[in-house]
Amino acid sequence: MPKITIDGKTLEVAKGTTVLTAAQQLGVHIPRYCYHPKLSISGNCRMCLVEVEKAPKLMTACSTEAADGMVVHTATDKVKAARRDVLEFLLINHPLDCPICDQAGECGLQDYYMDYSRAKSRFAQADKVRREKRRVMGPHLVLDNERCILCTRCVRFCSEVTKTSELEVMERADHSFIDAKEGRALDNDYSLNIADICPVGAWTSRDFRFKQRVWFLKKTPGVCLGCATGCLTEIHHNEGVIYRIMPRPNADTNTWLCDPGRMAYKAAQAGDRLKKGVIKNGLIDLEPALREAASRIDEHHEAAAVLGSPWLSVEDNAALARFAKDGLKTKNYSFDFDPEQGIKDGILINKDPAPNAAGARKVKAAAGGLSFKELSAKVASGEIKVLVAEARAAGLLKEELKAGGARLIVFAMNRSEIPAGAYATLPYASYFETPGTFINFQGLERRTEPTAAAAEGVKPLWAVIGKLSAYSGGSLRLESAQDALKGI
Amino acid sequence: MISVKKVDNRPLNFLERIYLPEIVRGLLVTSRHFFVNLFNPKGMPTVQYPEQKLPLPHAAKERTRHRLKLRADGTPKCVACFMCQTACPAYCIRIEAAEYPDNPVEKSPAVFDIDLSRCVMCGMCVEACPEDAIAMDTLEIPGGALSRAQLKLTKEDLLMTLPGDPSDKGAANRLANEHMKSRGEA
Repeated sequence: MPKITIDGKTLEVAKGTTVLTAAQQLGVHIPRYCYHPKLSISGNCRMCLVEVEKAPKLMTACSTEAADGMVVHTATDKVKAARRDVLEFLLINHPLDCPICDQAGECGLQDYYMDYSRAKSRFAQADKVRREKRRVMGPHLVLDNERCILCTRCVRFCSEVTKTSELEVMERADHSFIDAKEGRALDNDYSLNIADICPVGAWTSRDFRFKQRVWFLKKTPGVCLGCATGCLTEIHHNEGVIYRIMPRPNADTNTWLCDPGRMAYKAAQAGDRLKKGVIKNGLIDLEPALREAASRIDEHHEAAAVLGSPWLSVEDNAALARFAKDGLKTKNYSFDFDPEQGIKDGILINKDPAPNAAGARKVKAAAGGLSFKELSAKVASGEIKVLVAEARAAGLLKEELKAGGARLIVFAMNRSEIPAGAYATLPYASYFETPGTFINFQGLERRTEPTAAAAEGVKPLWAVIGKLSAYSGGSLRLESAQDALKGI
Repeated sequence: MISVKKVDNRPLNFLERIYLPEIVRGLLVTSRHFFVNLFNPKGMPTVQYPEQKLPLPHAAKERTRHRLKLRADGTPKCVACFMCQTACPAYCIRIEAAEYPDNPVEKSPAVFDIDLSRCVMCGMCVEACPEDAIAMDTLEIPGGALSRAQLKLTKEDLLMTLPGDPSDKGAANRLANEHMKSRGEA
């Protein structure tokens, strides 16, 4: 176990630890561009130079292994001068694009310039090297080679994380620039991570482009509901509008976030969000829609069935279970979802596209009910006359519903979600607008927090169920999401 | 330290207490002004604003109604960087950015509203602008409108060229000039 002294503080680290990570453990920040904790070490940006006693020259902290008795200084005049000069080199050919660059505000060059340099440029703007600007690369990214500092984080990401190796540094020395290999498009499922790890504004997101300045964004911790992996996310929003979703790196699940997961916010803000109920194909207000749905359920109280959903939170599934058990007093309900789970592509995307199968099973453990097979057999045989379900879960019973001819009452967020042949559709608030608990494929319980307010009249699902139950006879007294969990 | 000023509140004397002589003295002052101005109207210091205006002293010229400057090709110099909106202490600027399909400047304002009913005329937006795109040199002093809507200036109201333009200062100017040159406009 080598003992290393950094700025007078001594620390024992595991063998193979670099000076940079050792400094991080001591709370000493060493500036870096090319170093990324989840990528291989490149050591090309020279920003992390530190002074090591008895070494003839300054050493790059990111690639120097800690050795026993090593004494490192990170704040001497020599180190400060090195940082200032490295920054000057990086900025010689960097264009004055800050006013039109989306990275401004979270840019490594801006931050370190303010921290370590503050020097005036000694080079004329007219002499800067020119490169291709604003190049669309793939479905999600724009590349500006003029802003690039050639840290190669993007190249290493593509070759080490996605293993697709689309990117490469072309040419040599002063002529080098980042480009896709010939005939390759940058269209892997994780391409937007490149915009995150790019320390400057060379890679920016096409989706977020010019939408909002980053310093206006508020950040709320969230959970991705794109699949059963349940990555932790950070939702960036301002004035009730969500602008982008970023990964919240954690040791359990994810460092990165996939592109489909980042685009998940779009459905919640889409133009076809339901604000009213739908009966057959016509929009009507929520209250009459609820009354209509309730009277259809009352017609067949015994033959009504409730299907839980792996797309809904634990609370909302619990509310559905209470609706079946205490409201309808039927035995026909199922919260039994056991799809195949596991990482599909070796990075993040799960085989199970629903985020909360484990949560639905938790409700099943408490509330019992039929197995999914038993319920689908009952639906197919026509024994069930009315089925209450969430839209995507109802999609799992498409064939059976056609065969059995049961009336379908669904809860949906968007108009495009409504399955064909649904009799009544009731809107509910998305999990960007209401809190919910989800259990991912590892069994980790994660809670979303609301970032935006739901449209007027759109309520969380447990509240919609509470009202539906009040109209069809027995009130469940659901005042909050926590009430739904009572008795489950 | 709070400075204290002692005031000598001397009690009123008898003539002042009976009030009438003081009223007459006051009326004399008023009527003197009345007759002097009646027979010598040119000596009046009053200016009939807004028909008449005094030339503004040097610094005040830079704190009049805003305008957005134009480039030589007629596009706004503004690149919608949101610096003015960020600096504005009164939250009176609202910008929405748009993208040029061909111009290498890339970014331009689709919406640029200034709510003059909120503006405190502090000039922070002019100081914050990295493009020399916004200025407060129109010499118009805003105020006096019949509705709030009249005090809201849109991009079209704000775009204005004054003598001395187009200015070639600003960070994005290199790209703009090259674009104009490539199209043979400058």
